[in-house]
Amino acid sequence: MSYYFAIIGTQDNPLFEYEFGTSKQGGDGQSRFTEQAHHLNQFVLHSSLDIVEEVQWMNGQLYMKVIDKFFTNYISCFMTGGNVKFLLLHQPPQTEEAIKNFFNEVYENYVKAIMSPFYKVNMEVRSPVFRQRVAAAGRKYL
Amino acid sequence: MASSKASRLGEETRMDKVNAELVVLTYGAMVAQLCKDFDSDYVKVNQQLDKMGYNIGLRLIEDYLAKSNTFKRCSNFRETAEMIAKVGFKIFLNITPTITNWTSDGKQFSLVFDENPFADFVELPDDGRAQDELWYSNILCGVLRGALEMVQMQVEAKFVSDVLRGNDTTEMRISLIRYIDDELPPEDD
Amino acid sequence: MAVYSFYIFDRHTECIYTKTWLPPATSAPDGGGGPQGPTAAQHAPQQHQQQQLRTSSADDAKLIFGTVFSLRNMVRKLGGEDDAFVAFRTAHYKLHYYETASSLRLVMLTDTATPSMRNVLHQVYINLWLEYVVKNPLSPVEHKGGAGVKNELFELALDQFIRGLM
Repeated sequence: MSYYFAIIGTQDNPLFEYEFGTSKQGGDGQSRFTEQAHHLNQFVLHSSLDIVEEVQWMNGQLYMKVIDKFFTNYISCFMTGGNVKFLLLHQPPQTEEAIKNFFNEVYENYVKAIMSPFYKVNMEVRSPVFRQRVAAAGRKYL
Repeated sequence: MASSKASRLGEETRMDKVNAELVVLTYGAMVAQLCKDFDSDYVKVNQQLDKMGYNIGLRLIEDYLAKSNTFKRCSNFRETAEMIAKVGFKIFLNITPTITNWTSDGKQFSLVFDENPFADFVELPDDGRAQDELWYSNILCGVLRGALEMVQMQVEAKFVSDVLRGNDTTEMRISLIRYIDDELPPEDD
Repeated sequence: MAVYSFYIFDRHTECIYTKTWLPPATSAPDGGGGPQGPTAAQHAPQQHQQQQLRTSSADDAKLIFGTVFSLRNMVRKLGGEDDAFVAFRTAHYKLHYYETASSLRLVMLTDTATPSMRNVLHQVYINLWLEYVVKNPLSPVEHKGGAGVKNELFELALDQFIRGLM
């Protein structure tokens, strides 16, 4: 099973993306998306942003669970207080708990990454450390 | 012996608390702004940080002397090093850098920072130059230079490695250039 | 106990602050000594005291600095580097001296019966000088011509503190 994770800024601009595969049940952590799927994923993920705007006011939670579905692609969303969206595309519905843990860990590290004085709002997150930590969180929970 | 005395002095001196993250973010914002103002001319940024630190040091020394109840001058440069690391840094940043790499003439030593509160969260800009040119915490060099000048020691302080740059340690090198003599009153005519 | 006057000298030997608590006319003789140095200062009133009474306060400050500076150097020469010059007294007044490691020198003239004011000068340094002058971000680091020292908070607090002692 493969995952596509993206962080979308306040202007609906992409800040960070990362593809990875499951590490559970003997997975090797490599993504198995096909060549076309790379582009499709981006498209699917971004098209769900409209729904995020609707859902975000429904309950006061940062973690909004699965908000959209495109054939077998499910999209889970987590929105930070600063209106930055974490979107995760996954195939069969994952346990909500695992995704929640993943988001929380990424959130924690995201905050540290953007606290760097050289980071500016809505700038692409290029920190290699952050990328490593997202990968680690993926390995740990998904 | 001097070493344990310095440690105790540093421990005893309690400080008011200010939120550490506020300081870290303020300093970070300042460095980032300097980088912007000087168009990422990191050599200039280093100089500017050193200059700011120097001006801070000139004042901070008075606060240090009052807080640490220092009456006497250090008898030698080794004692000065102990006081800097175990009292000065302890009072103002609540860290105690390690003193190492003395030269045999006792005029140069290194401070190795196991932790550097200023560098929390920081990742240097990835423009390919900052990693080689910017000394992010360079203000500390200036502070030491300014503070020691007020107690009649002319020193040179500079960073030689920084974990932010990918080095294993953060190390500052301090060299005593000379002791400054008392200034004499101008001759009356 | 009476405090007559108070002086601050910076590390460039410049007098950056003076304050007197009695009008000059009725004030006790001011810091003499001068070129005659420490030994003379220990002794009875000096002959040219009369003239000195009329010297300007700027001259007083210079004389006082010259005296305490030589005294301090002499004390260190005789008693070793760690020895400190604390005070001297004449028949009319007592001069108290306090020097910080940053070469700031505080001098206070009181009547002869006053016990050591070293502690008081130390308090002036940490509670008044530090709080109101050093920590004032708008005051310059070097107080050339007394710039930045004569601020209202410092003046008031100093006056209050000294009057509290008298």
